[in-house]
Amino acid sequence: MLRLKGGRLYDPAHGIDGQVGDLYVEDGRIVADPGPDAVIHQEIDLTNRVVMAGAIDLHTHIGGGKVNIARALLPEDHRFDPAPATDLMHAGCGHAAPSTWTTGYRYAEMGYTACFEPAMLPSNARHAHLEMGDIPMVDKGAYAMLGSDDFFLRLLATGADQRLVNDYVGWTLDSSQAMAIKVVNPGGISAFKFNARNLDLDEAHPYYSVTPRQVIQTLARAVHDLGVAHPLHVHASNLGIPGNADTTLATMAAAEGLPIHITHIQFHSYGMEGERKFSSEAERIADAINHMGNVSADVGQILFGQTVTASGDTMIQHRNRRHASPDKWVCMDIECDAGCGVVPFKYRDKNFVNALQWAIGLELFLRVTDPWRIFLTTDHPNGAPFTSYPHLIRLLMDRNFRNSKLDEINPEAAAHSQLRQLAREYDLYEIAIMTRAAPARSLGLSDRGHLGVGAAADIVVYRDDTDREVMFAKPEYVFKDGRLIVRDGRVVEVVNGAVHVVKPEYDKGIEKPLKDYFDRYMTVKMEHIKVSDDEICSCGASRLIPHKCSVSSS
Amino acid sequence: MSDTFVCCPFCGLLCDDLTIALNKGQAQIESAGCARAVKLFVVPRQSQALVAGQAVDLAAAYRAAAAILTRSQHPLMGGLACDVTGHRAALALAEKVGGVVDHMNGQAQFRNWLPFQDGGWMTTTLSEVRNRADLIVLAGTDTSRFPRFFERCLTPESQFGELHRQIIALGTNLPLIPGRPTDTDLAIPIQNERLGELFAALRARLAGHRLDAPDIAGVPLAQIDALLVALHAARYGVLVWNAAELDFPNADLAIQAMVNLIKDLNRTTRWSGLPLGGNDGDTSAAQVCTWQAGYPLRTTFEASGPHYEPMLYATDALLESGDVDALVWISAFDPERTPPTANCPTIVLGRPDMIFTRPPDVFIPVAVPGVQHTGFLHRMDAVVALPLSAPAPADLPSVAQALVAIQQKLNHAAA
Repeated sequence: MLRLKGGRLYDPAHGIDGQVGDLYVEDGRIVADPGPDAVIHQEIDLTNRVVMAGAIDLHTHIGGGKVNIARALLPEDHRFDPAPATDLMHAGCGHAAPSTWTTGYRYAEMGYTACFEPAMLPSNARHAHLEMGDIPMVDKGAYAMLGSDDFFLRLLATGADQRLVNDYVGWTLDSSQAMAIKVVNPGGISAFKFNARNLDLDEAHPYYSVTPRQVIQTLARAVHDLGVAHPLHVHASNLGIPGNADTTLATMAAAEGLPIHITHIQFHSYGMEGERKFSSEAERIADAINHMGNVSADVGQILFGQTVTASGDTMIQHRNRRHASPDKWVCMDIECDAGCGVVPFKYRDKNFVNALQWAIGLELFLRVTDPWRIFLTTDHPNGAPFTSYPHLIRLLMDRNFRNSKLDEINPEAAAHSQLRQLAREYDLYEIAIMTRAAPARSLGLSDRGHLGVGAAADIVVYRDDTDREVMFAKPEYVFKDGRLIVRDGRVVEVVNGAVHVVKPEYDKGIEKPLKDYFDRYMTVKMEHIKVSDDEICSCGASRLIPHKCSVSSS
Repeated sequence: MSDTFVCCPFCGLLCDDLTIALNKGQAQIESAGCARAVKLFVVPRQSQALVAGQAVDLAAAYRAAAAILTRSQHPLMGGLACDVTGHRAALALAEKVGGVVDHMNGQAQFRNWLPFQDGGWMTTTLSEVRNRADLIVLAGTDTSRFPRFFERCLTPESQFGELHRQIIALGTNLPLIPGRPTDTDLAIPIQNERLGELFAALRARLAGHRLDAPDIAGVPLAQIDALLVALHAARYGVLVWNAAELDFPNADLAIQAMVNLIKDLNRTTRWSGLPLGGNDGDTSAAQVCTWQAGYPLRTTFEASGPHYEPMLYATDALLESGDVDALVWISAFDPERTPPTANCPTIVLGRPDMIFTRPPDVFIPVAVPGVQHTGFLHRMDAVVALPLSAPAPADLPSVAQALVAIQQKLNHAAA
């Protein structure tokens, strides 16, 4: 048994806000105080140390076809950040589109113990699980993308019963081994295949005549009816387009009270005010979130420098090709299922639009009052690589630092932004909520994201440092399932994480029309698109952790 | 599993609708096999490991392979014709010994990777082609290296109604199109070497430039303009090429001209490229290397990390220049893909029925993925990865098992 003695605990799931206490770890779990007679094999004195559960990233593009396209597209970016092999670690590369090995090591070195890939195409699921199988250190999971797949759109267009849709959504979660459902530019990826270049929330799809609003409502209902913990994860229409805040607000309303998660909401909080017809609508968006208890969001903060955007949203990514830096980009239509677009970006602090995007993201963080419903993400790598999280945390926790950075950006953008007036500074408790307790709760991970008895011993220990960037970049200790994996910000043991999936109840009769559809129109058999439970470990994960869905009686 | 269908690993289509029976321990295709599959699914269940042409047991062969790698400063892990698990093991070994990796189809792969990394592209996948493509342009290929391409991807039935597909062939081979009157199609004779000129001319005309020549690459200007009208009229056009068949100097630039035309057409209509490939596990090899190292093969593992040189780390160039001093040749799918001539010690992990004119220093017979052992393999479009089954299991090591065994002997030698 291991005793972690006398640390300052931040465990918002149990309302613990910096109280000094001991943690006991046995067989990978946090256990109750065993009393004075217990044999303690190892004790670590954590006096004055900050102790939190392992951090959880609920939206990070770490594995799957489009990530590999991004990697292959950017050899020049990798050259600046080679990762040599060590006795423990595999070689690879870092920065914007890091290799799988390096992704796992660097997440763990920052105190993250679970990462969720938000855009797994069912047709690409086996590949995504193979890639994630080579991401060590952290637990993983993925959200299956629906909403532009032809099978679903056919169901919707023919007025299929919601129960049939639910079966299809349940089947998709099951057969692709997913943790949640994501929708990207609802119907829009499909519409682009029919040569549509825009699809607004209430605009009819050029072939199916259904609207994005219907797609969202049907999927949100299905996710809810199936009892999936994480709400429908929505990448809304009109990403990045000035004036899109109206669409975003209408999208929130479209859920009609059902739980909905709006992802990388920074990219969806734009107005059209001012000479440049580009302005911040962060206040209006944040107010809406503050008033709508069914809505959560992650920010998708941008930070300055080279990165690469990788998205299922072919319609928008094709439009964004004009901004590619370096000037190259990839778009792909995929298997009557979805698509992907990869566009390298360089966000510049002296550029008006980029600087305002930066300020809008921070404004959203500071204006949303409930840290349980706003999550810390950069939409890695779209807004910035995940390795910039410690910097982002400092921006949230340190107003003087934030204002000094505000002085460096495009002055016109700084003048347009109300960021300087926002005095809020996140405290450690709020950081622990938004990076641990809240994502665990949102995903239904009952034994992660907290330090209570019975939790998995994913524990991070920081030296308290007024420079929060330094503090969060290099934890003193990181434990994964009770094993010490990182010491002073360096990997000391390599472990392989598990894969979390949900296992909803659904009527397997859906396979009859699906089999017919695959046989008639697809180039793969339905049976072969399914990823079996056994395959998850063959793909490389340590184990499969199934989560039951709890169907509410309402 | 109720599934009775088997996935064929022998070309990049990965047809997964084969039915197979066992006949005296041999896999025999009962339905849906092409001639290539019928031939390659028949594999001996046993074979003999060889060191210097002499029969040895597997342990001795692993020791001999490890001895070669121990003496080597910079070995080439080549061939790489195996499944994902084999690729993982090959990369682990390359990292361990400071080796360089390239696939036996590297010349063809990098004709695609170079324009991809220079400007990107727009592509599509097989089921999209099957359901949407109303105009298919075959540039320099008749698709016969992918025997069931027409049957699998260009059936008239689609979920958007019957498709009246037009097929335009550019090249010297008019494709034989089963069940189609060829007079609905257009064939434009042109040497493959000159395809780049034609596509550059199409781009120029699309941009409204005048061309001061009676013809481009032998194609009259009027025909070029007519072709452009046809391309414009497509609802969902697909340009198909096979980099392996574009075997001439600087073919990457011809491919770049093609993908740039696709990009330009997409300003107003929808077009996609379909690069045929994926034979001998080449798509999986590139995918695994990309996710593990960041680069699509032609990468060497140096003390500072992976180092990528697409022009320098080509198998032929490395063997010719002497930049590598040992060759590990992995070829588990096709017995005819024997190692290239090399002036350095050669270790072959090959199909059990591989025949050599001159035996390599070490030969380790390996099981064939998808016939003799299970595994994973990517289709040509790199999106769909399929499970391989083992309809005729054999008592031979897989590539991954053999490589792990060799690496263990290396560890012993180092200890």
